[in-house]
Amino acid sequence: MEKILLIDDEEAILRVLARSLRSDGYEVITAKSGDEGIQTFIRESPQIVLTDIKMPGMDGLEVLKRIKDIQSEAEVIIITGHGDIDSAIESLQYGASDFVNKPVRDKALAIALERARKKLDIRRQLKEYTTDLENMCQIATEEVRRKSKFTDRLIKSSNDGIVATDEEWKVIIFNPGAERIFGYSRYEIIRKTDIRDLCPTEIAEIFNEKAAQKKPMEQLPWKETLITSKDGDKIPVRFSGTVLYEDNMMVGSVGFFQDLREIKRLERELIHSERLAAIGQTVAGMAHGIKNILYGFKGGSYLVNLGIDKDDKLKLKDGWQMIQRNINRTSDLVLDLLSYSKEREPEYENCFPNEIAEEVCDLMKETANEHEIEILKDFGQNIGEMMLDVRTVHRSLMNLVSNAIDACIFDDNPNKDYKVIVKTGIGPDSNLFFEVTDNGSGMSDEVKSKLFTSFFSTKGDKGTGLGLLVTRKLIEEHNGTIHVASRLGGGTTFTVRLPYKKAGPAH
Amino acid sequence: MPKKVLVVDDDPDVRLINRTIIEENGYTALIAEDGEQGLQIIKKESPDLVLLDVLMPKQSGLRLYSQLKTNKSFQKIPVVILSGIAKRTFLRSQKALVEFGGNEVPEPEIYLEKPVESDELGKVLRDLLG
Repeated sequence: MEKILLIDDEEAILRVLARSLRSDGYEVITAKSGDEGIQTFIRESPQIVLTDIKMPGMDGLEVLKRIKDIQSEAEVIIITGHGDIDSAIESLQYGASDFVNKPVRDKALAIALERARKKLDIRRQLKEYTTDLENMCQIATEEVRRKSKFTDRLIKSSNDGIVATDEEWKVIIFNPGAERIFGYSRYEIIRKTDIRDLCPTEIAEIFNEKAAQKKPMEQLPWKETLITSKDGDKIPVRFSGTVLYEDNMMVGSVGFFQDLREIKRLERELIHSERLAAIGQTVAGMAHGIKNILYGFKGGSYLVNLGIDKDDKLKLKDGWQMIQRNINRTSDLVLDLLSYSKEREPEYENCFPNEIAEEVCDLMKETANEHEIEILKDFGQNIGEMMLDVRTVHRSLMNLVSNAIDACIFDDNPNKDYKVIVKTGIGPDSNLFFEVTDNGSGMSDEVKSKLFTSFFSTKGDKGTGLGLLVTRKLIEEHNGTIHVASRLGGGTTFTVRLPYKKAGPAH
Repeated sequence: MPKKVLVVDDDPDVRLINRTIIEENGYTALIAEDGEQGLQIIKKESPDLVLLDVLMPKQSGLRLYSQLKTNKSFQKIPVVILSGIAKRTFLRSQKALVEFGGNEVPEPEIYLEKPVESDELGKVLRDLLG
């Protein structure tokens, strides 16, 4: 219910109007003068004030001004004398909401009051809206702040290095992960450094290229690379990143860096421990080989002694040859063991792969001929000169060709024409390949599965059980691969693939 | 008629050494390069002793040994194992063979590990053959 303050110096009018308004449902309070009206207004805070304009002492205009000073939102309706348009206009200028002429007719008053009430309603609604709006704004701000804090924490807690920039490549986010990887504190970097100066050239180029395309890009696939830390250390990382666009405008960029130091360390440890395990596991296997060699030495000396004692030249010769053979076996075993246990970086040099293959075939020819095995050469003519670790290729090929010959000897079928084919070429992947194929005994799946394990040998006491293991290690150090295809009774093909490295300037 | 000793070994050096030791002690040496050949010679020649290696291509000494010891006509022939493999490993493999359905066979009477001294091998032969 609206509260109305009625101010008039004429008591009769006050009474009549008050009664009429009360019957319309208003709560009515009255005052007989401007002064009293102001005091009542302060005390009762009515929403609507209805005041006569002409009153002794403080007149209606003054009352209007004061009330508006106190509470600008109060609705003040002025009651003017008949035809007193000037006062009416003046009162409107001072913020009266309406005026009614005397004698006050119920209908005119009702209309004025209705308007005042509507205005009050609107103002109230407006206020509600505003309050709502303010509340919502506050909630939204809080939400944004919370979200940004969350994002901030997310970025900070990431183990990966996150580096983000503005549209001019200046770093604006440099999280603790990035600090750990790069070794710079964020204060040294933020707003000071271009992200492309932090990255290796290849990554900087990708950024430039993507920015030049001026269109949104997919996140780059992870890429392994090396960054240079503050201390100048090369740190292995996995990198991914993207240029950020909004409405086809670059707004920034972001790079993600995963620290690979720990992984690389673990990998090294794993390889190391695998190697130790391989050696440890098979000490028995090795001991077996050594025992046989020792027996050869002892037996050789026994024969030599017999030969000397009995002046038997044949025994002397047999014994001496046996000792020499076992010297060779010892040196094979020791060399294999050494190459297997030693870490070795490939030593690249210019060479003609076909020449190496040719030499290996020549070296093995004698042994092959002894057993009526033919070595066939099928060398790719388009190979030319390239960079390889000659020792790796030579040793691997020797091993494979001598294995192939052994497979033929072992098969021992008098009706078969044994052949070992040595093939070279450039594969469709433009890598160099060597292929050694024999039509010897072939391998069962079981043998195939043990092929690259240490000290496994099908050659009885002849093999060191390390040949293929060493071969594979050499080839892998050369970033190459070795594959085998074999069928029991159907022969075997070993394929070695090595990355093509263009021949460099002669030195 | 000198007694016959069969040498079964894939290593030509070992064959030559063992043969010499056998002959130096006054016996006849028979030679086989693997278990399969060994069995054929045993069937044909009935040697008085078998000097057997373990790790060989085609048929291992382990299998030949259990074949001999489960065959009535051959189980009396004394077998001397001469191998680079430790006795322990041989016995373990023997047990595994039984688990996979092979027959239970006695442990070899004499187990020598390479490198054995030629005098010792000679003494073993004389002890067994007289």
